[in-house]
Amino acid sequence: MPDHAHTGIRLIEAGYGVAGHSILSGLSLHLTQPRIGIIGRNGSGKTTLLRLMAGLIAPTTGSVRVGSLDPAHDRREMLSQIGILFQNPDHQILFPTVGEELAFGLRQLGQALPDAKAAVRAALAQEGRSHWYGAPTHTLSHGQRHYLCLLAVVLMGPAIILLDEPFAGLDLPTQMRLARKLAGLAPQIITISHDPATVATCDRVIWLEAGRIRADGTAASVLAAFGTAMRRLGEADADTDIAG
Amino acid sequence: MEKNLAHIALFAALIAVLGLVPKIDLISGVPITAQSMGIMLCGTVLGAKRGALAVLLFLALVAVGLPLLSGGRGGLGVFASPSVGFLIGFPVAAFVAGLIVERWTATVGIAAFAGAFIGGIIVLYAFGIPGMAVMLDKSMVEAAALATPFLPGDLIKAGLAALITQGIAQMRPGALLSRPQA
Amino acid sequence: MLTLTSPVETWAHPLPAGAKLLALCGFTVVLFALKTPALLALAAGGVAAIIAVCGRDFAQTSLRLLGPLWFFSTVVGLWHVWLGDIPGGAVVILRMVTAVAAANFVTMTTRLSDMIAVIERLCRPLARVGLQPKTLALAVALVIRFIPVMLQRMAQIRESWRARSHRRPGWRVMLPATLAALDDADRVADALRARGGSG
Repeated sequence: MPDHAHTGIRLIEAGYGVAGHSILSGLSLHLTQPRIGIIGRNGSGKTTLLRLMAGLIAPTTGSVRVGSLDPAHDRREMLSQIGILFQNPDHQILFPTVGEELAFGLRQLGQALPDAKAAVRAALAQEGRSHWYGAPTHTLSHGQRHYLCLLAVVLMGPAIILLDEPFAGLDLPTQMRLARKLAGLAPQIITISHDPATVATCDRVIWLEAGRIRADGTAASVLAAFGTAMRRLGEADADTDIAG
Repeated sequence: MEKNLAHIALFAALIAVLGLVPKIDLISGVPITAQSMGIMLCGTVLGAKRGALAVLLFLALVAVGLPLLSGGRGGLGVFASPSVGFLIGFPVAAFVAGLIVERWTATVGIAAFAGAFIGGIIVLYAFGIPGMAVMLDKSMVEAAALATPFLPGDLIKAGLAALITQGIAQMRPGALLSRPQA
Repeated sequence: MLTLTSPVETWAHPLPAGAKLLALCGFTVVLFALKTPALLALAAGGVAAIIAVCGRDFAQTSLRLLGPLWFFSTVVGLWHVWLGDIPGGAVVILRMVTAVAAANFVTMTTRLSDMIAVIERLCRPLARVGLQPKTLALAVALVIRFIPVMLQRMAQIRESWRARSHRRPGWRVMLPATLAALDDADRVADALRARGGSG
């Protein structure tokens, strides 16, 4: 799998804060490895980091670059560079049929409707799911909807795919199928998760804690440290602080 | 019944949310606030009675001082302003819109458009224009003239409300409370 | 949930909500009976005075809340200048601004819970038609509880759109949003039933 140095995401002292409250700070990263995992507890800022990398929000300090582009401002170019898969497919599906849903992204990239339709049919055929084309989205199971959202993202041909808790709520067989599908994809994949098992096979794992990088290295080393810290926290008593 | 209460409350919340989120695009480039569509959707999705109650609940919360009207407006002041007629007309508009979707057997999209048009424009303006006339010391004709610039936008919103209602029926058949057997 | 009630305690805060509302109604009726700019200016001055007494921050907020009246004020102002009827225009504008400012004053000096209590009292006769006061309180609580949840979900839906399109979200985002509201309603109904119903 090729290294993604030239399209890799680069954060330079990037930070993000809202109403004087800092969520992320001092992040300097150059993400080039084919499979990267970002691990952290809920509330560590990992979803905010994903949105920052994708350009859905702009950093309040420092900068984020994808190649030479600024993802927050060069939105049109970013569509074909970065794909994002969010946790809940029901928050992503906009159309009543599979075909329309898949064609949406291609149309937004500028393709004419007939071309988009043809590309969708071809992609579905390649996945052995030609019969999905006219299927109503509500007839798909949860796992199938997840799959549909992934396909919609992959179809746009991004160089980088960001995944937010990709296995949340999926049963084991569905997880295995999804993992197998992801492993075979060509784009760089950056996975955000709170679960070490999700990122265990990544080339590089970054541990985010309270908006800062706590560890950054191989999956084995970072996840070992992470596991120990989490166990220690789990053995101690309650989570009594209320934010804000 | 719990189901009615839940739907009424959550759609009142939806109207509020539609006033709080950024505007959505009409056709590329022209932003509109989705809140008035939310009013019509209460009728076309929930039906006449529940829809009207959802809007009334929303207005009650605005009246007690929550800034839920688009633009962060709220409190008793909005009921003392020239647009008070429209506010009073909102629940009636939702009721009429819902009634048409419930009673007219045309396809959902067409019924919803008719509902949104007759309820969300004809009935709503029938309350809004006299309201403005009284508050601004103008004749009905003059008040109507004042309201006309908003008509094209509202027409399009009625169309969108119909599309959304129809879309819901397509994406989840049976989800519309106004068309239980769909 | 942020309300429009002023956090700064004023002389009007301790007054009972019902009394303030009645006074407001009476005041508004009187306002609409006044026909000359001079009298209305007097009324406006009176309202301005009770606001000014409450301090600078309060006054500034009161002024800001009058913002939405710019449109009507400008239209009416220009209309009457064009017609050569300045006094008529002054009457409309003064009355409008004074009425709204007075109403806002009541809102800013009355706590949410007190206002809700008034509404519950007003709705007591409806108990005969089936609306229990507990139901109303529950409905209000549900709306307030779900607004932040639905706001966040709407933000997520909008982000999903922006992940695949550089354009501003279109009407289609309303589909998952409305479906989610329907789903939430079903879940809430189940939760209510499980806890012994809304009665």
